[in-house]
Amino acid sequence: MAEHILESISLFLPEIALTVTLCVAIIADLILKERNQNVAYVVIAGLVITTIFVLRQTGLTETIFSDMVAVDPFAVFFKIVLAVSGFFIVFFSMKCRELDANKKRIGEYYMLIVAMMLGMFIMVGATNLLLMYLALELSSIASYILAGYTKRARDSAEASLKYVIYGAVSSGMLIYGVSILYGITGATDIYGVNAALQTGDFSPLALLTAGILIIAGFGYKVTVAPFHFWSPDVYEGAPITITAFLAVASKAAGFAMMIRFFKVSFIDTALLDTAGVWDIVEGFQWNIILAVMAVLTMTLGNLVAIWQNNIKRLLAYSSIAHAGYILMGLVVLTDQGIASMMLYFVMYLFMNFGAFYIAMLISNKLDTEDIEDYKGLGYRAPLVCVAMAVFLISLTGIPPTAGFIAKFYLFAAVISAGWYGLVLIAAINTVISLFYYVRIFRNMFLIEPEGDTSKIEFSLSSKILVFALLIPTIFFGVYFRDIVDLAQASVKMFGL
Amino acid sequence: MDLYAFFFYFFAVLTVGSAFVVVFSRNIIYSAFALMFTFFGVAALYVLLYADFVAVTQLLVYVGGILVLIIFGVMLTTKVFSVEMKTGTLNLLPATLFTAIIAGMLIFVFSATDWNVVPDQEWDTTVYGIGALLVNEFILPMQVAGVLLLVAMIGAVMMAARDWTKLKSK
Amino acid sequence: MIETLLIAFIKIVIVLLVLLTAVAYSVYAERRISAFIQDRLGPNRVGPFGLLQPIADVVKLVFKEAIVPRNANKPLHDLAPVISLTVALATFAVIPFGNTITLFGEEVKLIIADVNIGVLYILAFSSISVYGIALAGWSSNNKYSLMGSLRSSAQMVSYELSLGLAVVGVIMVTGSLRLDQVVMNQTNYLFGVLPAWNCFVQPIGFITFVVAAFAETNRQPFDLPEAEPELVGGFHTEYTGLKFGLFFLAEYAHMIVASAIITTLYLGGWHLPYIDMIDVSPMLMSIIGILTFVIKVTLVLLFMIVIRWTIPRFRYDQLMGLGWKVMFPMALLNIFITGLILLLLQ
Repeated sequence: MAEHILESISLFLPEIALTVTLCVAIIADLILKERNQNVAYVVIAGLVITTIFVLRQTGLTETIFSDMVAVDPFAVFFKIVLAVSGFFIVFFSMKCRELDANKKRIGEYYMLIVAMMLGMFIMVGATNLLLMYLALELSSIASYILAGYTKRARDSAEASLKYVIYGAVSSGMLIYGVSILYGITGATDIYGVNAALQTGDFSPLALLTAGILIIAGFGYKVTVAPFHFWSPDVYEGAPITITAFLAVASKAAGFAMMIRFFKVSFIDTALLDTAGVWDIVEGFQWNIILAVMAVLTMTLGNLVAIWQNNIKRLLAYSSIAHAGYILMGLVVLTDQGIASMMLYFVMYLFMNFGAFYIAMLISNKLDTEDIEDYKGLGYRAPLVCVAMAVFLISLTGIPPTAGFIAKFYLFAAVISAGWYGLVLIAAINTVISLFYYVRIFRNMFLIEPEGDTSKIEFSLSSKILVFALLIPTIFFGVYFRDIVDLAQASVKMFGL
Repeated sequence: MDLYAFFFYFFAVLTVGSAFVVVFSRNIIYSAFALMFTFFGVAALYVLLYADFVAVTQLLVYVGGILVLIIFGVMLTTKVFSVEMKTGTLNLLPATLFTAIIAGMLIFVFSATDWNVVPDQEWDTTVYGIGALLVNEFILPMQVAGVLLLVAMIGAVMMAARDWTKLKSK
Repeated sequence: MIETLLIAFIKIVIVLLVLLTAVAYSVYAERRISAFIQDRLGPNRVGPFGLLQPIADVVKLVFKEAIVPRNANKPLHDLAPVISLTVALATFAVIPFGNTITLFGEEVKLIIADVNIGVLYILAFSSISVYGIALAGWSSNNKYSLMGSLRSSAQMVSYELSLGLAVVGVIMVTGSLRLDQVVMNQTNYLFGVLPAWNCFVQPIGFITFVVAAFAETNRQPFDLPEAEPELVGGFHTEYTGLKFGLFFLAEYAHMIVASAIITTLYLGGWHLPYIDMIDVSPMLMSIIGILTFVIKVTLVLLFMIVIRWTIPRFRYDQLMGLGWKVMFPMALLNIFITGLILLLLQ
């Protein structure tokens, strides 16, 4: 056993590096005292080390800690996505003026971001229901606190409280579902669950109940309807950096865990064919439930987004809609579907972070989040507004941007699995989404500025960060072969 | 009815009954103390399942820790003696229907399902086994739980630290 | 089945009787010793040396009028002292007050409930004892009572941590949560001469535990919950008659139980050192064990009483500072050192 644990530790280095970063960040915060904004550099250093360890895991397919965690291409892919988004969030936070409201605690802020990342790293690899739950709670608790970080602002306090209460209810549902599943199968690791389900010796109704409760728990984390209701308030009230992090990284980790759970637990390995199309065990047709949820999520997200005037709230609803699109990949039960989901996350990371970052820059300068105040900004801050336009085009899914490629592959996967209706609805939704994205665009470029028409200057580092997000968004829209190949190669999970 | 069944039903009724008081009492202190009996009842049920370690841990953590803090919090609120919870009943009909459906489904599931049951066995001591599992098979969840608690603690301190002047609304 | 129940019942009755008598006489002892320290005489009128004083006290308390304040919460006001006393007495159930004794051809363990997790049971019940006080303070609807019970809750919660962590050291040395194992483990000798009592094996843990135990029992120098100059009587300001008596009883019962726990965990329990070197009959051995236990408990009890009349009370912030900044790290340090030594000895 001791050897096995030591061996596992050597394959667990990214997470250990994050834990060490967390501890160092706490100590650094104590030592630096007044200059505690420098904790950010500690965190960046920690993230660099973590990323190196992650990259060294490419190509491995192992299970560690007595089947608790899998180190496989699937997990590594998501860990890279998470690490990249972690870097961006730390850079954003160093720029964000909103965070100054609680300056004294900025050390804890960075520390909690690391804690959240640690939770998400474990989420994407966990293969045991117990550990999945713990990891989910770790990242959730850190994000509850972060959502209320600027607690002086009433919105932020409200956001945090709502988040905690809904979060508690949903993790209660999740653990209830898990306990029923354990009662049926007698296993907490998902391979054991799968083995027990394949014998066919269980009551379908109990499995259905467990499945619905677990979907409710996961659905909360990835904001799919009808478990999305907390997110607009939280996204609006939380500091914008955290909103962006929740909208991208937290969703990616949640989806990764959900994919792994559903795929490994409910797959019928006897019917696993070479073309990457799989079948589920009898008794629980969860893809139909998920399809309904996907339709609901994207429609609701888009329809409500039309009426929003607050940019953060608009992006919140837009990210709900995107969760709906992404969920389609899980509905179709093919490796192609999952690969396109993973691809979507890469693209989504850049374009969504870009939109959030520019909203943050504008809020830094003009102290507004109202879309009406964006009127004529195109003349006052041309570079930033053009970048924003690209990000919005990409979020809509118009070529030649990354968003188009992401949507294209996703829709193709859904069509080739024969879900034509689903694609039709998604396409209609894309058209609807055009409406509210264009509204921002129109305000920025087609309306003359009123009142103050002076140019707005941004610092060099801000511009560099904009380009760091802008270039991939355009680049992946033109040259996407490699990233598609990478996503398709990373579908492989341990044990399948 | 043998002695075991008698004790089981006694503690089950105690647990559920006091849980009802927790929910329906309008006085928050009563709710808190009723919760104590719920926890006690659950601990007793654990004892009946040969889970002595879990039972005492339940007492130690829930009754001795969490509930004390809840009561502490209640007593520190301004109008200690007359904290009336504002429990309005909204949407009575849909809520009742929804609850009834959920409850019916759960009860049906619990009674109709063929659960995966571990064969009856008398345990002498469970502590050693639990300890061995915690540092072998379950070492990772245990460590993660440790980090989780650290984060929760720092977060709680951060939330509670008094360094603001007044809530300002945007 | 019936036989086991009967034996348990007899044990409970005997222990309860002895315990309640001991409680009454520890009150007497406290008054005599305080008088001695303050150069007074103390109660000496009822019976020889005032030995019947406890009986007179009890009679007085029983016949006093029971007053419940008008705005108090009657049911909880009544319940609070009962909880206090019950918890104190229930803790005694797992303490071994002797090894085994053979009566009428039947070997009887001198412990009421021989459970696997005795140490945890003690900790669990000591954490519950806060309810009696919290309930009393709240239900009295009196600011002094409430302040007292708030202080007590905070104090108990803070010191419970060091209490529990100090015990972890003992558990590590013993390798078991059974209290009879804890005692058995202390019947060895260190270097062949020194009895392997945990107070020698675990000096830091011992000090931490004793201090925390004082705080848990709300004894001087930690008796802030009932600090007379500030809070009138603390949580039992609004209690009279028999219910006040129950609180009084509970306080001393807590003291005795705490002494018994200290004895069991750290002072070798019922074991008299070096007695195993001489040859005595098993029956005599059992009786010597019980007597040793009683004497040890009495000595610890006297120590607690002497402390009360010699050391001034802490200020509240000092109390909290001590609990969190000194005791808590010390208990952690103890665990660390214990682990290190155990690893080296392996």
